[in-house]
Amino acid sequence: MEIPNVAEKWTSSVNEITIGATKEKGGTREKTITIGGSKCIPFMDFDGSHGHKPVIAMDVYDTPPDGWPETLIKPFADVLNDPAQWAKKCVEYGADLICLKLEGIHPDKGNKSAAETADITKAILAAVGVPLIIWGCEHDEKDNEVLPKVSQAVKGENCLMGVVTQDNYKTLTVTCLADGHSIITLSPVDINIAKQVNILVSEMDFPLNRIVMFQTTGALGYGMEYTYSIQERERIAALTGDKLMAMPVICDVGHEAWRAKEAKSEDSDAPQWGPREERGPMWETITAMSLLQSGVDIIRMNHPKAVAAVKKCIDRLY
Amino acid sequence: MENSRFKIHFLPNDVTVEIEEGKTVLDASYKGDLFINALCGGDGTCGKCKVILQSGREQVIPSSHISEEEAKKGYVLACKTIIENDLEVFIPEESRLDKSQILVGHFPQFSGSQAAVSPGIEQFKHSPLVNKYYFELPPPTMDDNMADFERLCQNISSKTKIPSEKLTINFSVLKQLPALLRSCNWNITVTLGSRGSLFEIIEVQAGDVSAHNYGVAVDVGTTTVVAHLINLSTMETIDAEATYNSQIRYGDDYIQRIMYASQNNAMEMMQEMLTEDINHLISTLVKRNSLNIHDVNAIVCAGNTVMTHFLLGLDPTNIRKEPYLPAANFVAPIRASEIGVRINNHGLLYTMPCVGAYVGGDISSGVLSIRLDTTEALSLLIDIGTNGEIVLGNKDWLVCCSASAGPSFEGSGIACGMRAAKGAIEKITILPDFEVAYKTIGNVPPTGICGSGLLECLANLVRSGVIDRTGNFQKGINTKRLRSTDDGQEFLLVDRKETAKDKDIVITQADIQNLIRSKAAIYSAISTLLESMGMDVESIEQVYLAGGFGNYLDTRSAITIGMLPDISISKVHFVGNTSIIGAKMTLFSTEAHEVAKEIGAKMTYIDLMSNNKYMEEYVSANFLPHTNIEKFPSVAEELAVK
Repeated sequence: MEIPNVAEKWTSSVNEITIGATKEKGGTREKTITIGGSKCIPFMDFDGSHGHKPVIAMDVYDTPPDGWPETLIKPFADVLNDPAQWAKKCVEYGADLICLKLEGIHPDKGNKSAAETADITKAILAAVGVPLIIWGCEHDEKDNEVLPKVSQAVKGENCLMGVVTQDNYKTLTVTCLADGHSIITLSPVDINIAKQVNILVSEMDFPLNRIVMFQTTGALGYGMEYTYSIQERERIAALTGDKLMAMPVICDVGHEAWRAKEAKSEDSDAPQWGPREERGPMWETITAMSLLQSGVDIIRMNHPKAVAAVKKCIDRLY
Repeated sequence: MENSRFKIHFLPNDVTVEIEEGKTVLDASYKGDLFINALCGGDGTCGKCKVILQSGREQVIPSSHISEEEAKKGYVLACKTIIENDLEVFIPEESRLDKSQILVGHFPQFSGSQAAVSPGIEQFKHSPLVNKYYFELPPPTMDDNMADFERLCQNISSKTKIPSEKLTINFSVLKQLPALLRSCNWNITVTLGSRGSLFEIIEVQAGDVSAHNYGVAVDVGTTTVVAHLINLSTMETIDAEATYNSQIRYGDDYIQRIMYASQNNAMEMMQEMLTEDINHLISTLVKRNSLNIHDVNAIVCAGNTVMTHFLLGLDPTNIRKEPYLPAANFVAPIRASEIGVRINNHGLLYTMPCVGAYVGGDISSGVLSIRLDTTEALSLLIDIGTNGEIVLGNKDWLVCCSASAGPSFEGSGIACGMRAAKGAIEKITILPDFEVAYKTIGNVPPTGICGSGLLECLANLVRSGVIDRTGNFQKGINTKRLRSTDDGQEFLLVDRKETAKDKDIVITQADIQNLIRSKAAIYSAISTLLESMGMDVESIEQVYLAGGFGNYLDTRSAITIGMLPDISISKVHFVGNTSIIGAKMTLFSTEAHEVAKEIGAKMTYIDLMSNNKYMEEYVSANFLPHTNIEKFPSVAEELAVK
């Protein structure tokens, strides 16, 4: 019996974006990362090319993280106070990029100054050769004060900076445009708002092919399916020709997965769930692998074991 | 123990009300029959019922609605001020509900914008619901000895072709008939009223008074009640009058009023308020035109389902409870006096048939007025009020829905919003240098801004780049008009020096968001309705825009902000108050009344709230003009969107 060909014919593809700049391009990175380019729904490569492989960005905090469980602290125990060394360790664990999370600039969590933050950022760039994502504290005023200074300090490095929202996008958009960085647009699990933020940013003459979209991520058991279906719709919108939705997608898996009690509860609190050493990284891995199927280009992750497992899957599947 | 009672003296009206301890100043104002603007019905949320305490209280605490400056002057919210002693209260002008302020009958024309056009109402055969006929009856003889009533019926029947078995007579009229016939030598005028399949002899008068036959058409709106006085023999509209719906004091929208009425056992009071408003309008019209109220024989009322219920004294409680059922969609004619409406004692009151809980007689009336039920072209009727009702269809089918657009286009919930009354800014332009040109209703100094002005203002703010496509004020706009206050940013439209009340007229960030939400509700209702019929915007051949805004509308601005779909302006017709036009047509023609009934029964109601696509359409429309700009090619060009 002849099997009918059920392949879809998509008219468009996800934008390609390169993050990081080597010496020739005016930066200092040893290598750059290119994402996007997919012409199909994930794992349906009979429809078209799946483009560039998804990549993993490991989080580095500018201040020792609050409330991390022991399982997560252990692999970084000696470097939590030194973002540059922390970043180096992440690269050893296999990170494709570093995501510097500027938690410490938040007025309630350290209120670090712009100058101090710029120094930390430069130290990380000096310590590692991979490209950098710079993620604000999501306190609008403080982000608008600190991020432009940081952006200037790393001008030419072609970082990915975020996040901008519907109500706060102008400062960072102008900054990234001037300093040659790419930008992350955030929307609260809403496909329409995702497009609206992209429109707002692009109407400031920011090029569409330098935008990455971020829907707030839900971890396994904590709304992952909402994130999944919105990201899937974003991918379909991109493939069917919506230029304002053709951006690659980033997910914040590590932070969200490790907030789940299933990931962080101590063994004594939930003996029936098995050892935390295993279940924490598993929770993170499952969240990442599930969301990959909806169409994700960059996954932010935390635990080295989870990173290794997801990388292995990506290498085998793509 | 009885509560102590206190005296509240209201100024400038100079009215003193005695009321028990614990009531509010707002309660006292109701008792004194004073009109204080309280859109939220006394919940303390709208902040419109500001009054000044002139004596009786020492300290006033500022709140979210009362600024510190106002508190120093003694401003309080009437609904939140509990009476504990005698008070002297001044009602400032902005808090008064001036019953004479509503605009009727003026259709200002502007270049580039549309004045309301009245659809032709002469489509039906002239056969008023209540008609008068003059007869010279042959006096009886020994040979022609038919009884008085049968004699009358036989003559009516031969003249009107109404079979005599369909004729009934009011018993009190019958009792007087023999004496009357003989006193005027058998020359009489008969008033015949249509009661469904039967006709009632409402009155018999001596001599020929058949020319004295008048009727009243009433639009019973949630916000305003409009009445037109009509000569039923000539089909001519003699005069018009409008008033605020007195129920406003118990809530801006009808759901609040149903809740108030059922919680306070106040159904009868709600009915009385409406009948009193209608009586007030009718007596004003009758007096002004030197007529006799006795010659007003018929009244047709068009209102949404809830207003119709309140008017007839039917309990509307179930309308707001699942599965949302009215007591009746169609109510046969009743004697007006039965519900306290004062016209001829035997005069008849007709209501326009409702479609369901959320689409009422005002909409079947609207469909009738433009004869949507007979048009070949696929047409859209949009009636914008506190609710936006939308009807789609043609001669073959009609579907309708109701979107809770909110009252912002009626000027409610907007800092400087007002209804389309004298002094309201109805046309406004923001020039390239951010200066503002405007025109008010009545060409007097402005008091506020009404729906049509708000719509144009929003379109101009986006055109001039003062706001971005989410409606947020932009940074770096070089004008002093854009300024920051404690409540966020606002744009100055008119400086206080130019205004009637020495108060700046502004549009705030919150106003803009309110207006965007309202327009999004209307647009998404249109697109959901189209989608549920498997149609797209291109298939719409005509759009009729009715109600709400006042008497004129800039249709281009309505497209620029994305309230209407991007269609050719030549397809859009602004038709004004279609509710009252339909009511008038019904008054003129028994046939039209039958058609209205058919329309009511024919329309299919589509519930948006249970439609899972609606919410998504709504978020998508919550942008200027829309998230998907490709749906608005002409606006993309206008705003130079890439």
